Amino acid sequence: MAVKLPRGVLGLVRMLPRDLREPIAGDLEEEYATRLERVGRLRAALWLWPQAARIVMTFRWERTTRGRPLPPIADEIRRANMWDSLRQDVTFGARMLRRQPGFTVVALLALALGIGANTAIFSIVDAVLWRPLPYPASHEVISIGEQRLRENRTHGPVAPADFYDWRRDNRTLSAIAAIEPLAANVSGDAEPERVRGITVTAGFLDVLGIKPSLGRDFLSDDEIPGRHRVLLLSDGFWRRRFGSAPSILSRKIMLNDTSYEVVGVLPASFWWPTMPDVVAVYPAQGAPTRAVHSMEVIARLRPGVSFDQARADMAAIGRRLSEQHSQENRFHSPHLYTLQGSLVGDVKPALLVLLGAVGLVLLIACANVATLLLAKATSRQREIAVRLAIGAGRARLVRQLLTESVMLALIGGTAGVAVAASGLRSFRALAPASFLALPGIARVELDTRVLAVALILSSATGLLFGIIPALTASDQKVSSTLHEAGRGSIGGARSSRMRAVLVVAELALSLVLLIGAGLLLVSFRHVLDVSPGFEPQNLVVASVVRSGPPAPALMFYQTLLERVRAMPTVDAAALATPLPFGALDGRASFGIEGRTGESPIPVRARPRLISPGYFATLGILLLEGRAFTDRDVDGSPDVVIINVAAARRYWPNENPVGRRITFFSNNRWLEIVGIVGDVKHAGLEQDTDPEAYLSYRQSHFAGMAQRLSIVTRTRAPLATIAPMLRSVVRQMDRNQPLGAIVAMEDLIAESVAPRRLNVWLVVSFAIVAVVLTAAGLYGVMSYLVAQRTHEIGVRMALGAPRSRVLALVLRQAGVLTAAGIGIGVAGALAFTRSLSTLLFGVRAAEPLVYIAVSMVLAAVAFAAVAIPSSRATRIDPLSALRQL
Amino acid sequence: MTDVSALGEFEQVVLLAVLRLGDDEAYAVPIRDEILRCTGRDVSRGSIYITLDRLETKGYLRSRLADPTPERGGRAKRYYALRPRAVDALKESRRALVALWKGLEAQLA
Repeated sequence: MAVKLPRGVLGLVRMLPRDLREPIAGDLEEEYATRLERVGRLRAALWLWPQAARIVMTFRWERTTRGRPLPPIADEIRRANMWDSLRQDVTFGARMLRRQPGFTVVALLALALGIGANTAIFSIVDAVLWRPLPYPASHEVISIGEQRLRENRTHGPVAPADFYDWRRDNRTLSAIAAIEPLAANVSGDAEPERVRGITVTAGFLDVLGIKPSLGRDFLSDDEIPGRHRVLLLSDGFWRRRFGSAPSILSRKIMLNDTSYEVVGVLPASFWWPTMPDVVAVYPAQGAPTRAVHSMEVIARLRPGVSFDQARADMAAIGRRLSEQHSQENRFHSPHLYTLQGSLVGDVKPALLVLLGAVGLVLLIACANVATLLLAKATSRQREIAVRLAIGAGRARLVRQLLTESVMLALIGGTAGVAVAASGLRSFRALAPASFLALPGIARVELDTRVLAVALILSSATGLLFGIIPALTASDQKVSSTLHEAGRGSIGGARSSRMRAVLVVAELALSLVLLIGAGLLLVSFRHVLDVSPGFEPQNLVVASVVRSGPPAPALMFYQTLLERVRAMPTVDAAALATPLPFGALDGRASFGIEGRTGESPIPVRARPRLISPGYFATLGILLLEGRAFTDRDVDGSPDVVIINVAAARRYWPNENPVGRRITFFSNNRWLEIVGIVGDVKHAGLEQDTDPEAYLSYRQSHFAGMAQRLSIVTRTRAPLATIAPMLRSVVRQMDRNQPLGAIVAMEDLIAESVAPRRLNVWLVVSFAIVAVVLTAAGLYGVMSYLVAQRTHEIGVRMALGAPRSRVLALVLRQAGVLTAAGIGIGVAGALAFTRSLSTLLFGVRAAEPLVYIAVSMVLAAVAFAAVAIPSSRATRIDPLSALRQL
Repeated sequence: MTDVSALGEFEQVVLLAVLRLGDDEAYAVPIRDEILRCTGRDVSRGSIYITLDRLETKGYLRSRLADPTPERGGRAKRYYALRPRAVDALKESRRALVALWKGLEAQLA
């Protein structure tokens, strides 16, 4: 019976001479088989392994002791030599590192920081930018937006009528779906709860390639208006609110006081940026609007269809729609992105800048460790010279020195992984909420891919910083080193020149990083200085979604406003939607009375519903005309207030007060009664769009009228006012949930949080870089001063004053610093161009920043050389002269 | 005269075992068994292989790879056989030993 030798035994056999492997393996197998039958598996195995090992050991012992190779064994010798010498190098290297703990610790620190920071940033960038989205064949999922170049919009929201046309007419998409956000109150069975939701058309899960884990997906029939509305729950919501009850299917749930039937539960792995708790079906409308753009559209390419083909298909559809609907769609066209591109496009520049910054830090750390190694090498000159003299080849020596470097780097890299782990923990704790909505952020971790990169990075780092010292140290005129004291020898001079070059490189790289940090810091300051157009202090906001018929909802809001205004510590209150720095809103086209024909620019504004007192509560300037009053109700003349941006754009040469406009969707003519100052709604960095304020009691845009937020100006802190607001709402209606109660200042801070995080990180890296550079400069200058001790002694003996000595040393340092700064400025001018998308209010070549940063670096350099130069002045000429 | 000192003691033992087994039977496993049977010495397999290989290098043995057999997992056996100079060397060695032993039987009995 043929038995098989275990793989490990075969591995041992592979260490034998080639022509003997097969017979020996066969012999072992033969005896193993016999033993198996005789004494059983365990004892046979206990015999087999030691036998195989002993045979191999005998051969190896034979080789090392007898010396004469057994044929054919030459390749065995070569391999054994390589392993032997590698083992030698590693042991020797470890001993060297142990013997100089000061150097080792400093080098490891620099490497751990450099490699750790790179690993951490790489894992974030990798998870967000380079890992595919968590959908099958995610590269086929695209986002389709509306391009309106005349309004500087490349990828804007889509109007429902356009979406339905796209869905009907496309030939290159296997599925297409539209999404709108849904602010929902869930009530009925338990405590009313405000949940996050989206409303989607039937193909949503098809686009993503996902099936519900329970129940069914939406069907196109579900979209038919008048049909019973259907709903999908997220896995988390199902567990939390319904205890994972399997009977959830076909259960009825009240969403905004409308009954929905649960038809399915999404899988736990489902991911969507807004992480909705509920996914409701979007009911088709009889006459979908083409004027209001509110939808986000995603689609999946048909198998075999390329992105360009889809783009051409959609472009043709867009052209047809522009011709058929010239009023609304004249200058529109569909614009395609990959879904991943559209989700991460905004943060990509910032992440890449971070990666670049942290790469610079690693380069500086490498240069630093290289200078340390060069310093160490001069003290090993004698050892190296002896080894060269007894016949070690230069290649062998270089290999040994490189092994030490790589070992150092690998140990530093291991420590760096620990640094990265703690850095990632802090990142997850401190990252702003908008970051956490990015795809892949939940998957940021030190997995095998990231660790492999850390390993490669460490090895490459070791080679990078080790190669110059290894080549420098091993290239010596042997005899001169053996005969001279070491200082002032040829090897020493070359090494010190190399160190100076490295320090200049560090200075240059630090300057590039510092300038980048400086520009980002200045941009951030500029952003914070932007006035939002209102007074954000002491403002507290809360969203109140009121379901049910419009008339009682209106009463509710009115009563709510009165009661909140009556609360103690409340100075002013108003209702509005949408609020500044709140959720994104859509735009609506409008027509201007008396203007016929096509407008040269699309006439569109962001509609906002507000109550009287809104402008006063927020501190928005009223520039012309009047604000809304309690008389602006249904039945009275329809009125509208516009902002300065709208006035400038659409009435550049006249006063628009008194003119009339109409929003096509409701066909009522509104008279412009006032003009207010611009408000930064979308963000401090965004330009202001034309805005139109409408009275909430004149029933425009019914959907918006029941999604109002209450905004209060109050002297009380948030912790005091929040429960008071909640109790007022609860007294009015126990079942009315309240959205999150937040301070306006926090919303603004949250809007700049990504920029703040970026700046903070780049500045930290710049500080680390400068500290490393200062340490490097200190080391080099100390060495140079020590080298010139004799010369300084001679000068002082000849009568040179201490100030002259100081000037001598400082000039040397100054040359290095000036060279570093000069090269750094040139480098910065080249590289900061890539920062331009992140800058705000400052040019990439802003001279003030360059000058200020250069002065900072020069000051740091000066501080770094202060000790060595003062040491130089305190040299005793007599003892210096004696060092001949 | 053949240089007897070129053959070590263990090498002679191995050569004799190979000779005893004959050309078609002498591979490592039975060689070791034969040595054990005749001398009572349980030698390590490694030293057997090393010695066989060394003897082949020195030109005392020749080897051939036989056909693979299924009992050995399809692996071939390496059979060894003596070359003429090995036979000469063994003869010489025996002659020398017998000459030295003469007259000492009583003492070493």
